[in-house]
Amino acid sequence: MANHHPNEELLMAYSASSLPISQALCVSTHLEFCEQCRSHTQKLNSIGGLLLESLAPKAGSSKLKGQVMALLDEPRQTQAARPCKTAEVASNTFLIPRPLRQFMSDGYDSLAWGWTAPDIYTSEICRDDNGAQVSLLRINPGGDVGKHSHTGDEYTVILSGSFSDEDGIYLAGDFLIRDKHQQHRPVASKDCACICLTSVEAPIQFTGFFRRWLNPLICKSYQPQSL
Amino acid sequence: MSDTLTRQPAALSAEQHILNRHWQTCLVCVAEQQDREAFGELFDHFTPLLRAYSLRAQPGAYLLADELAQDVMIKVWNKASTYKPEMAAASTWIFTLARNSRIDNLRRNSRFVNHIEVEDLWQEPEDPAPSLFEAVQLKRSQKQVRQGLEQLPPEQRHVLAKVYLEGKSHQQAANELHLPLGTVKSRIRLALQKLKLLLIKDVTRP
Ligand SMILES: [Zn+2]
Repeated sequence: MANHHPNEELLMAYSASSLPISQALCVSTHLEFCEQCRSHTQKLNSIGGLLLESLAPKAGSSKLKGQVMALLDEPRQTQAARPCKTAEVASNTFLIPRPLRQFMSDGYDSLAWGWTAPDIYTSEICRDDNGAQVSLLRINPGGDVGKHSHTGDEYTVILSGSFSDEDGIYLAGDFLIRDKHQQHRPVASKDCACICLTSVEAPIQFTGFFRRWLNPLICKSYQPQSL
Repeated sequence: MSDTLTRQPAALSAEQHILNRHWQTCLVCVAEQQDREAFGELFDHFTPLLRAYSLRAQPGAYLLADELAQDVMIKVWNKASTYKPEMAAASTWIFTLARNSRIDNLRRNSRFVNHIEVEDLWQEPEDPAPSLFEAVQLKRSQKQVRQGLEQLPPEQRHVLAKVYLEGKSHQQAANELHLPLGTVKSRIRLALQKLKLLLIKDVTRP
């Protein structure tokens, strides 16, 4: 069970869909791990329901009802009619949170992992309209990401394994935000590789003396693709 | 600036409670018996609200409002069996369908993002039916949210409406209401406090 959660403002923004898709991806991934936050989100959804009820109704064309009623004659779509992400994935993906399954055909190994730094591999899964980059990060057992800060906020959800930084230890499901003013130095635990989902608003800046030479590499792998 | 939230919250309550039960029953009838009459009632009640929801975020976009209403009502028909009356009011469930439909539409018209299955991000929880204890808790929370919303000062309600009905970020809400970001954030926090939706503060929540 996760110990680090998104705060209620973020859960509310998720419930209202007023947050960027990159952050929504992180929040929904955490929800897969966290029953407590799922239940809270359910409660937050009721704000939306009540506000919907309180809107002044805007009646439209009477034709709409006929159109919709006619469409009901078509066979019902069942859950199976929709391409089901769960069915097509192999057994080794059963631990992959549902929101992420769409980005990989067959488990984390099927992703194109790029070498980023010693012990660190990254695979970009999508890029948000606001420029935020969503990637998976794989840190080898005991791997040290190095001290770094960001020019924007960084959202992280641990998917498997664990890492620790100055503030504590983070296990699968944990959700954390490091803002641009915070420097931190995550180190994967020694017993297994750590895989996390990260969304970064802007490229990482490494600040440690010995790591400084790595910056160009990181920046390179974090460079926006031409649109 | 005119607020389209016209019905004053005090008018809600007992009458509203009976109506809620009614919509819940209609959804169950649609799910279990493909009841067209019940669906018709849901359609008549929710379609004008769904159009209002769409128009609130995109004023003047009547075609889009019809599209959203149609999309959501078809989903109501097709997915009614996934609705869990003990988890949510009918309006809450329909709100989540409307929200997803809006996101889907925004995604489809986005020039940037690669294809993302929106439903995988805002999916219905697959949790098993809640225990009796959880169901009682949820029911209590629904009541608290309803009562809290009725008593919310207009300025807090207004910020919530910006976020929930227009999908505005805190920053966008601040810009549009000509308020400092901090004021918007504190109004949201105060509102959540009144709705009893603040999580117990512990150090692990950033
Ligand atoms: Zn949580």
